[in-house]
Amino acid sequence: MSVKSLIRRNYNKQPELDFPDYKSSIFRAPKNKKISFPSSDSEILGPIFNKNIIGELDNNLTLNFSKNKKSPLGHKIIVYGTVSDQFSNPIEGALIEIWQANSAGKYLHDKDKNSAPIDPNFAGCGRCLTTSRGYYEFLTIQPGPYPYPNRGIEWRPMHIHFSIFGKSFGQRLITQMYFEGDPLLKHCPMVNSIADEKAKKSLIGALDTSRSNTQNLLAYKFNIVLRGIKQTYFENRREGL
Amino acid sequence: MTTSKENLDETPFQTAGPFLHIGCMPNAIKIEKLYQNDLGETPFKNKNESELITIEGSVFDGNGFALDDVMLETWQCDENGEFREESGFARFIPNNLTKKFILKTVKPGSFKGFDGKIHSPYISLSISSRGLNMTLNTRIYFEGDELKNDPLLSIIKNCNENSLIAKKISKHSYLFDIFLQGEEETIFLDI
Ligand SMILES: [Fe+2]
Repeated sequence: MSVKSLIRRNYNKQPELDFPDYKSSIFRAPKNKKISFPSSDSEILGPIFNKNIIGELDNNLTLNFSKNKKSPLGHKIIVYGTVSDQFSNPIEGALIEIWQANSAGKYLHDKDKNSAPIDPNFAGCGRCLTTSRGYYEFLTIQPGPYPYPNRGIEWRPMHIHFSIFGKSFGQRLITQMYFEGDPLLKHCPMVNSIADEKAKKSLIGALDTSRSNTQNLLAYKFNIVLRGIKQTYFENRREGL
Repeated sequence: MTTSKENLDETPFQTAGPFLHIGCMPNAIKIEKLYQNDLGETPFKNKNESELITIEGSVFDGNGFALDDVMLETWQCDENGEFREESGFARFIPNNLTKKFILKTVKPGSFKGFDGKIHSPYISLSISSRGLNMTLNTRIYFEGDELKNDPLLSIIKNCNENSLIAKKISKHSYLFDIFLQGEEETIFLDI
């Protein structure tokens, strides 16, 4: 017999929920301490997603919304990497969903009040499942930075939003990938809500010059790590070993 | 799966922001032709209306405003207490006029966990939105069920444990409001 448990989350390497520099957190971040408890089946067993939900162009944001095969404006980029767990095991079949602004820094969304233009050939929405080696890849357009109301007007660094499902509800992750060298990074309160410098840096996609120079686009590498799951065996009831 | 020591840190969270619908439920905001269905539209397929319960509620911020820009995700076992990997997941948002979300699903069964203990019926719930630097996790238990011996409920006796229990309104419907802050702040879990 064995018990499975998720590796405890290290909150020193996660963002602060209550971070007043990011104004919207003030009335939304809960004040009480979260309750910790041993993982139960619901945190470990699924959900997982079937291949048949993914369409052929779902990971190609340069074509999945284009009219008459017209390209969206901006320069093309490839964003790629792996999804693994904390033991470096690749996770196969992880669902990655992404969303982003267009090259002008505008989202295709009624609530985006930025005056930048929408791009009729770009929705900014993509998804894929990782391969057996945990690999994923998106072809998209470099998102623009954009202004938003915070403490007055502030600018978001260029970023792509990522939502990831591994094999377990307890591995669920929502994050953002940033771009190497962006001067806005150090001014962003959402980035700075993470105190640990190494953790912060792990969200920055690295320019892959070798790939960029052989293809007609810039390539960025962004590896994602989901929580590990430990299995503890009970000596006295060991079975099948 | 292994028993050795982990060597990598988990990737940090960042807020899902106000435009999460584009990536997670494009059809809900009329980006239509990309995905046939939004993920998690129905947690269990091919169920009759009579087999389903509804859970309705709102998510309130610290000012007491019901939010309409949050995304909720639920994960549960089926009516027999089995986790079925490809069924049981739902994703939904509050209605922008009523500010209420409605989940239609089967009532989960109780189950014997791999810890050997009996768990009362519950649905795991996560909440993501602008202003939340990390996704929040909680659980929905059900009024009227045997809850005394549930392994989680029995360790949180001294706080607002009622915030985890959906109120029964009628035979098949429940109310579950979520309070991000304030006196009634919902219990959130370090899952
Ligand atoms: Fe954004």
